[in-house]
Amino acid sequence: MLDLVVKAVAYSSCIGIGAAAITLVYNATRTFNFAHASMVAWGMYVVFAATYLLGYTPYYHLPLAALFGSLLGLAIYGAVNRRLLRAKAKEISLMMSTLGVDLILFGFLNVFSDYLLKVYRLPAKYFILETRDFTVEFAGVQVRLVGLVAPVVLILSVVLLHTFLTKTKLGIAMRASIENPELAGLSGVNPELTYVLAWIIGGALAGLSGGLLSLVITGYTAVGMTIVVTFFAGAIVGGLYSVYGSILGGFLVGLGEYLGVALLASLVGGWIYAYRPAIPLAVMAATLLTQPGGLATLLRGGRR
Amino acid sequence: MIELPPVVLQVIVNFSIGLIVATSLNIEVGFLGIPQFGRLLAVIAGAIVAAALPGRILAAYLGLPWGAEYAYHLYNFGIVARINDFLASNPAISIGVLILTLVLAAAIGGVIGYLCAYPALRLKEAYLGITLLAFGDLLMNIAWNYDPLVGGTTGVWVVDPFRFVGAGGTRFTFSALFILAVAIVVFIYAELLARSPFGRVLKAVRDAEVAAGVYGKDIVGIRTQTLIIGGAIAATAGALWALFTGSMKAYTYTRLTWTFWPWAFMMLGGTGNNLGVLLGVLLYTVARTAIILYKEALSTVIPISPEWLEYIMIGLVVVAVVLFRPQGIIPEKPTLALPKSRVKAIAESLEKS
Repeated sequence: MLDLVVKAVAYSSCIGIGAAAITLVYNATRTFNFAHASMVAWGMYVVFAATYLLGYTPYYHLPLAALFGSLLGLAIYGAVNRRLLRAKAKEISLMMSTLGVDLILFGFLNVFSDYLLKVYRLPAKYFILETRDFTVEFAGVQVRLVGLVAPVVLILSVVLLHTFLTKTKLGIAMRASIENPELAGLSGVNPELTYVLAWIIGGALAGLSGGLLSLVITGYTAVGMTIVVTFFAGAIVGGLYSVYGSILGGFLVGLGEYLGVALLASLVGGWIYAYRPAIPLAVMAATLLTQPGGLATLLRGGRR
Repeated sequence: MIELPPVVLQVIVNFSIGLIVATSLNIEVGFLGIPQFGRLLAVIAGAIVAAALPGRILAAYLGLPWGAEYAYHLYNFGIVARINDFLASNPAISIGVLILTLVLAAAIGGVIGYLCAYPALRLKEAYLGITLLAFGDLLMNIAWNYDPLVGGTTGVWVVDPFRFVGAGGTRFTFSALFILAVAIVVFIYAELLARSPFGRVLKAVRDAEVAAGVYGKDIVGIRTQTLIIGGAIAATAGALWALFTGSMKAYTYTRLTWTFWPWAFMMLGGTGNNLGVLLGVLLYTVARTAIILYKEALSTVIPISPEWLEYIMIGLVVVAVVLFRPQGIIPEKPTLALPKSRVKAIAESLEKS
């Protein structure tokens, strides 16, 4: 039982980190980022390739995944998003542009995977890094280290993000620009700086989330497409305009998916496991239809 | 009967199915401005109808098992083979089954459109798009896992109402031409819709919802009606695809192929313009077939597997269209309320007076 909880916590922490990335980018740039799927998948593949080619433990390569994610974010902003934001494009156009980017990133990820397979003979079609993880004893049970590292990374990201947004001048300017772009612009804040920072931080969080996920779930190139709805669900359950709400929402959706299905299975039988991907979808649809403001609204007592 | 080569058949079927789905999307997105990211929902519902209902009705009629065991993979093949033998010798019943399947699929698609109106009236933009996307994935997940419906992970065989014209190439030629005919009918319908008063109301609601409401247009009713029409057309495409391929496996119905690609066709051709959508689908179908045909030659020039090249190509097209030509290849033109000759006559009579 404890083993399962630890696994669920590891998975949920990854979802929380990723959901924060979606919300940050959406709030700063009005762009609902479909490319998040492939950014997470790239994060997984970066950790996978680095672990096999350079050695060391997968944890060692997490910063590399974050760095790669932020570079992807920067590239998306520079090549696509900046022009559209300057042209004051509609929300749907912004969404569609990231969908195109997602397909491009997915194509290149497959090329990269083929390359790893052909040149280095790595098992790049499907890989499990879980076996490269350490086992530690926790409360008398042998568990994988990622179950302890992932929540620590999540908390660290929250603390860093919070410090950045409330204590540094850049972070405060960024928040001002999100809350009221015109007023912030009049006070001399450059809105483009907000956009580029959101993409860099969002990309880093997406890459980090993917890097950690490589220790939790099986990696394959289409993993982003499968799992991205869970991230969307997390962000939306959190309210989609509060980064902290999204982290909490992502964590809860992940827990619900992992533990909820185990709980249901003990009640109605094991056949329910097959429907696991339906849980975040159902939670998300229910949240949107009954409480579109998400957790953030509930926590603030009904106010936006 | 003439037999067309497989490549030509492939182009015809991909073009026709793509045109039906993209046209239904265009009615909702292009004319009314609903962010329909859940096209998959109606398409897969249509495919489920085609895979689950006509086979069961015929099995019951022929005294074969038609309950949950119909979809069980060990029985399903035998049952469907016997039904197909029966259909091959009964053209009248085959045609009846074909029409009944399409009507049922369209009806279910319409019901789904009606249900989608609930979120569509309450949510906007990204929120609505993601909700509809979630619905589509939910239905796919259920069809993939709930065995008694369409066989779950093993899938089911679909009865073949085209069998009576002959086997092999003749059957595929006939069915491809039938699908093309349906696509042409759908296209003409969408064109008539765009030119009708209803089509103009849709564009009015899209461009200025408040103003349309002030002039007494029933916006709730208009949205619901459009979602019903779009859902019915998309479900027909799903049913046709399942009937043509002769089998149904839920996992092959992904949001990528049935939602995102039609979006790409539509945006490439020109959102809000039926002719543009047709051109977008045609260009893409031809390009894709060319890639598959010249696979060998391509892989010597570009060191990328053609399969991934396709994704990169579509992605680049989507990004390029959004960035450089948001209106598409053929931009939307304002439709005239009256034929051109009558507008001219009125203008002349005004000049005289």
